[in-house]
Amino acid sequence: MKDFLQYLFDGLSSGAIYALIAVSLVIVYRGTGHLNFAQGEMAMISAFMAWWLSSNWMPIWAAVVVSMIFAFALGAITEGLIIRPIGQRSQFAVAVAAIGLLLGLNALAPFAWKVTVPQAFESLFPKKDSDFARIGGATWRYEYIGVLITLLVVATLLFLLFQKTKLGLAMRAVASNPDSAPLAGINKGRVLMVSWGLAATVGAVGGAMVASLRGNVDPSMMLAIFFSATAAAMLGGFDSLIGAVVAGLALGVIENMVAGYQPDIIGQELKGSVSLIVILVVLLFRPSGLFGTRRVERV
Amino acid sequence: MDGSADTADVLAVEGLYAGYGPVEVLHGIDLTVGVREIVVVLGANGAGKTTTMRAVSGMIPRKGVVRFAGRDISNVSPDAIVRAGVAHVPQGRGTFMDLSVEDNLRVGAYVRNDDPSDDISRWLDVFPRLKDRRAQKAGSLSGGEQQMLAIARALMSRPRLLLCDEPSLGLAPVLVQEMFRTLAELNRDTNTAVLLVEQNANLAMAIAHRAYLLETGAIVASGDAKEMLDDDAIRKAYLGY
Repeated sequence: MKDFLQYLFDGLSSGAIYALIAVSLVIVYRGTGHLNFAQGEMAMISAFMAWWLSSNWMPIWAAVVVSMIFAFALGAITEGLIIRPIGQRSQFAVAVAAIGLLLGLNALAPFAWKVTVPQAFESLFPKKDSDFARIGGATWRYEYIGVLITLLVVATLLFLLFQKTKLGLAMRAVASNPDSAPLAGINKGRVLMVSWGLAATVGAVGGAMVASLRGNVDPSMMLAIFFSATAAAMLGGFDSLIGAVVAGLALGVIENMVAGYQPDIIGQELKGSVSLIVILVVLLFRPSGLFGTRRVERV
Repeated sequence: MDGSADTADVLAVEGLYAGYGPVEVLHGIDLTVGVREIVVVLGANGAGKTTTMRAVSGMIPRKGVVRFAGRDISNVSPDAIVRAGVAHVPQGRGTFMDLSVEDNLRVGAYVRNDDPSDDISRWLDVFPRLKDRRAQKAGSLSGGEQQMLAIARALMSRPRLLLCDEPSLGLAPVLVQEMFRTLAELNRDTNTAVLLVEQNANLAMAIAHRAYLLETGAIVASGDAKEMLDDDAIRKAYLGY
């Protein structure tokens, strides 16, 4: 029982991070129908921004907020300047451009900030050795609880945005029928820019969480996480926000359970591949994921 | 000509050219819709009826002059044209399938800044079948209900001109009659001008004030709907009796 709880607590925090990036991917996918391969690197750049601001000018929480604003601009500009013009010519080219962006941003971080080694990132949550709750013999570190609460707050805010505001209504309308949205007076271009901006903002929260748990920022910090987050988005159905949250948490827990109970066969090194096996099996039986809309083409 | 008693036209199209990529579909058509008028554009498949509608609402590139309420809108984006007061119910209805009936109506009111609740109740009263399904997703509605929803959604923006592209398509005959009756009532009660594109010429002509005949991208005849119905040649060619 103690082990089970421990794996559960550990899994929920890594799952919360998968969920945050998966939610970003879903917001972009619902808007423009693209998988943004650079989503993780956008989050990494935002985390560098937060590190840079906090080590020079401001407290860490303020730096994260400013980095979220920066991320919004980065996402919106990427959609308007790169994704849309390319997408009008070829949808396939958008995927290539996103991969290019991944590599470009990955190279940009050490270049822009002239750093070659991981840079210390101040924790966002209490991180002393004694900062944990003891539940059923297992320890639940406050910083892990903090990450989970952050995810729940972000998910709640997004739910309210999509369900209760006019902007959210416009975003749902564009996702449901992009051709018809302009006929309702919706400026589709602006909605898509906001979608990409919003996705990058949520990603920036994820990036800050990763940096806080690691205790540093590093250009490669989001690469492995991006794969698990993509798996979570697929598992959740790619067009479902709730699906992304549930699948992200589930993958985090499954990975830690498998690695914990099979330390010799799987262990920490191979636990990332558990996600890939899980989505392979799920997609074999449910191609639209657990929460995805099953598309019915009517002629 | 009743209905076109007002001197000003709400829509005036002059020398309109439009098409898709290298294919030109409309070869310079002229067309007007008076305030409070119902105007129908008749024509065979491929004549350019849908293209006309899409060109007026700015969905496709066009050349020529499109004037709405005296203002040139030929270089205005589709969403801004909706804000100006033109609502387009596209062929295939253009409903938002994943959204509830009520949310579809809210999307229709997107261009307005006031609370749309009163208008939602109003149109749900006009279309009682939608009222029973207001929380259902639009994708679960029948074809007739979706057409009603598409029209109600368009009216939520309080347009001065309603563009209706083949509203009868895919509907049972009894529903088609009901829908045309509703359109005529809306035109009378809300002073909304209607530009209608139809293959179902008989019913459309019955509610229209004026009509245009479109043939391979050009207007070949136009006039008072009743007079055109009396013209044997036109009746034979387009109404089939």
